[in-house]
Amino acid sequence: MITLTHFLVVSACIFCIGLYAVLAKRNTIMILVGIELMINAAILNFVAFGKYDKVNYGGQVFAIFAIVLAAAAVAVGLAIILNVYRHFNTINPQNIHELKD
Amino acid sequence: MNVSIPNILDQIIASIPLFKPELALIIGFIVCIFLALFLEKRWRNSTFIGCLVTLGFSLYHLAGQLSITAVGFSGMWLVDSWSTLARLIIGLSTVIIAIFIQQRHGKNNGDVYSILIAATLGMHVLSSTSHWLMAFIGIEIVSIASYILVGYFSQNKAQSEAAMKYVLFGSVCAAVMLYGLSLVYGLTGSLDFQSVEHLQGLMDAPEAVITLALLFVFAGIGFKLSFVPFHVWSPDVYQGAPTAITAFLSTIPKVGAIILFARLYASWSSTAFYFSELSTWFITIVAIVTMLVGNLAALRQQDVKRMMAYSSIGHTGLLLMAVFAYQDSSSYLLFYIVAYVIMNLATFIFIDQIEQQTGSTSLLSYAGLGKKMPILFTAFTLVAISLIGIPPTVGFVAKLMVFTSTFSVFQSSGDTGALLLLIVGALTSVISLFFYFKIPLYAFLRSSDQPITAKKQISILLIIAYILTVLVILFGIFPNWVML
Repeated sequence: MITLTHFLVVSACIFCIGLYAVLAKRNTIMILVGIELMINAAILNFVAFGKYDKVNYGGQVFAIFAIVLAAAAVAVGLAIILNVYRHFNTINPQNIHELKD
Repeated sequence: MNVSIPNILDQIIASIPLFKPELALIIGFIVCIFLALFLEKRWRNSTFIGCLVTLGFSLYHLAGQLSITAVGFSGMWLVDSWSTLARLIIGLSTVIIAIFIQQRHGKNNGDVYSILIAATLGMHVLSSTSHWLMAFIGIEIVSIASYILVGYFSQNKAQSEAAMKYVLFGSVCAAVMLYGLSLVYGLTGSLDFQSVEHLQGLMDAPEAVITLALLFVFAGIGFKLSFVPFHVWSPDVYQGAPTAITAFLSTIPKVGAIILFARLYASWSSTAFYFSELSTWFITIVAIVTMLVGNLAALRQQDVKRMMAYSSIGHTGLLLMAVFAYQDSSSYLLFYIVAYVIMNLATFIFIDQIEQQTGSTSLLSYAGLGKKMPILFTAFTLVAISLIGIPPTVGFVAKLMVFTSTFSVFQSSGDTGALLLLIVGALTSVISLFFYFKIPLYAFLRSSDQPITAKKQISILLIIAYILTVLVILFGIFPNWVML
């Protein structure tokens, strides 16, 4: 029997993997993938909790909106990364440091 | 609560009049996309005019909502004096930004206006909701629109890097906030943060989970407001983005986010349970650290745009202090917002005008310019005085009201946090004197080696900036003109 706890543990693991991908900063695309993992962990949470919200289905509606918004943000992010690649010829965040104190 | 579909439809149709300003924006957004596609080539500035007409319609409908207090779309849409006034401020400043972009980036700018309208729509959503779903959608609309605006005109390395940093940092904060929201939803089963079930759920939940969830949620709002420790993006982005876009980023998104945060804080801090204590401590500590970091880091900046970024971080700290102090009356917070928006817009127009003449935003390049452009630098100095908070300017009145109200909170509750806020606020105001006065110092007292020939030109932007400067003085002498 799969309970709510299982979902929460899985989503927490996915969130941590995503956070690691973001903090490791190897490659900008990997950061985007990490962000996507974090968002999907949250969506999993929403749907799992939504089971107990039989009146409004708030969690499931939120999940759908979150998916759409994440897709839009990633599309914009990829376009900007492409633009960065044209200027720098690299997408390693460690080599991109024109602006600093 | 089994509601039949005809009932729901009736309710939605009944709520549509409350949504008119936003409907105007949505229609204008679509119209502007088509104008940019088809008409812009033949008739330049058609999209710009479409954008202004859209904003005009939106403002017209907003003016009709001034006296209304209502709730629409089953509690998801709040129209009250906060939201209407905040949306009026947002609309008016977006008009100025649109003119700014049109003057500065005259060519190849068709799609900017539709994105600007989309950002305005997002801010409208942020400032008139207490529902987490709407709040998240609002934050994402504003964020995505701002990413595009920062990257749109990017022609060199610095500009594209600014856009990339912004998009990555913003998306991470949004993802963290979403995870926090999912935890809050799991704890409470309700997405409306003013509702009774929501507060009840937060009261019953274990402390560790609440701490995690609340801090995650604040991360998302903190990114939009750029308070410490979510401020690291703002100096880079402010410096890298074109000045017109920086003027947009530093003013308008903060209005929507601070209104949302004020609503959130007003409803969450009112109980005597753990989460209220946590929010109060969070806002106090963050306000103190934000003021200190913003003003101290601004001291050693040599680039004016970067300095203004830290200065706006410092002002965010004061805005948080205002949120902390005014839990019941909205007009004081709105006064600070009006003052902040006017001062920042004027400052960035001046920076842009000087950048047009000298091609640089470095403070050193201002040397000796005061004699070449006397009127501009006199006005610039007046705005800087207002940013510091010296009478007789609007910045002084705004700061004075924040301090007096925080002091009365301290007197009534004896809260150490309030006292600390007061001390740090006063201290950082003194610190800010040193970096704002670098501008007149370099302009009037230092002489430059290379002679600069200042072109005589009077542009519509400069007229707007002078009007804003006059407003800074007028509202400082007659603050009751804006107090509603």
